[in-house]
Amino acid sequence: MPWASSLARSEALTPGGYQEFMSGYRRGAAAPAPETNPSTPEREQLGKTLFFDPRLSASGVMSCGTCHNPGLAWGDGMPKGVGHGMKTLGRRTPTLLNVAWGELFFWDGRAASLEEQALGPIASPDEMNLSLEQLTARIREIPEYRPLFEAAYPGEPISPPTIAKAIASYERTIVSGSAPFDRWIDGAEDAISEDAKRGFLLFNTKAQCSTCHATWRFTDDAFHDIGVPGEDRGRGKHLPQIGVAQFAFKTPTLRNVDRRAPYMHDGSEPSLEAVIELYDRGGKAVRPSLAREMQRLDLSDGDKSALLAFLKTLTSSDAPVALPVLPR
Amino acid sequence: MKNRFAISMALVGLALAAPARAGDVLVIQKDKTFSQQEITIRSGDRVVFRNEDSVVHNLYSTSPGFEFEIKTQLPGQSADERFDGKGEADVRCAIHPQMKLRVKVDR
Repeated sequence: MPWASSLARSEALTPGGYQEFMSGYRRGAAAPAPETNPSTPEREQLGKTLFFDPRLSASGVMSCGTCHNPGLAWGDGMPKGVGHGMKTLGRRTPTLLNVAWGELFFWDGRAASLEEQALGPIASPDEMNLSLEQLTARIREIPEYRPLFEAAYPGEPISPPTIAKAIASYERTIVSGSAPFDRWIDGAEDAISEDAKRGFLLFNTKAQCSTCHATWRFTDDAFHDIGVPGEDRGRGKHLPQIGVAQFAFKTPTLRNVDRRAPYMHDGSEPSLEAVIELYDRGGKAVRPSLAREMQRLDLSDGDKSALLAFLKTLTSSDAPVALPVLPR
Repeated sequence: MKNRFAISMALVGLALAAPARAGDVLVIQKDKTFSQQEITIRSGDRVVFRNEDSVVHNLYSTSPGFEFEIKTQLPGQSADERFDGKGEADVRCAIHPQMKLRVKVDR
């Protein structure tokens, strides 16, 4: 078993020993965009304007940025999202950090692109509750939107597809900045503590976090049942015939993770310490769909604090986001 | 058919024991990707899926006429699937959605 060999290796390699893993965490190229919607400054600006415009909701008080709040690491800091009429939603608001590289979207992967995802919460009766017909009519009635659309998508109508493309273009600009961890990976030895370096080694060996939280984005874009109790079948709702999809949710990024409590798809773990405890015991809910990689870890208290120290090095000090002046 | 198999083996660039039958095509799962993105086979051919990753995979297809699921496949395990009929099958991993393979089946 690979984790067994990694365990033996981690014990043989303290201190140091982490060098072999570092190359897997270098940042990649600039954010990608699909051929059908290449990014331009005009598209990103229009998308930002729409993203922060509360008129995209039936109530007129909720924008995309209400839940995906840049001041809260592009989440809302609550266990579960709150939608139209203060309705508590079924899952926690996911961060938008680094979604440009994502494979499938929503916790359960039900959208195949950001363009497809963007309209979902707007039209959902539980969330922003604005039908796509109402959305189109409302945006068309705002005169100052017209030149923004014409600059971004010349010759294309103001319509759900162009609105979605613009919002997706903006979301692709939401990239976590350079964190102490990145500076360490780039060669600044003192950028993170020795305890954090030991945490990085554990992350890649005994604790097996890197099996799923991989690459500089700290995700494999995949779906796993990690033993969080509950009735929500996640990916399994869309793949009912597939055993491993039951109770499986998308691996979230760990970028800026210490700014994003509470955790898990349902906000059921209040702190990173609690999350580490869940993994240490191999998950709380033992079901046939539980990922095989979920094993008892037997981490020591020192291991846990080293992992925590490492996770805290993934947070960047990003500049505040300036809100756009909205068209009238 | 032997040629196709030889080409497939050359693509993956690995000296592996050959699957048992002419007409079989080997597809390797490694680094959470398939060794090929698209293959063309004849009706009745088998595709051998080998997991050379350190994580489990779970391949399936919901393409009409080609529905199947290879349940949890541990590292090192192989499984094969026979494709009968004519058309295209999109094969995915239920865990890792970036793994995408199109199997074109000719009569």
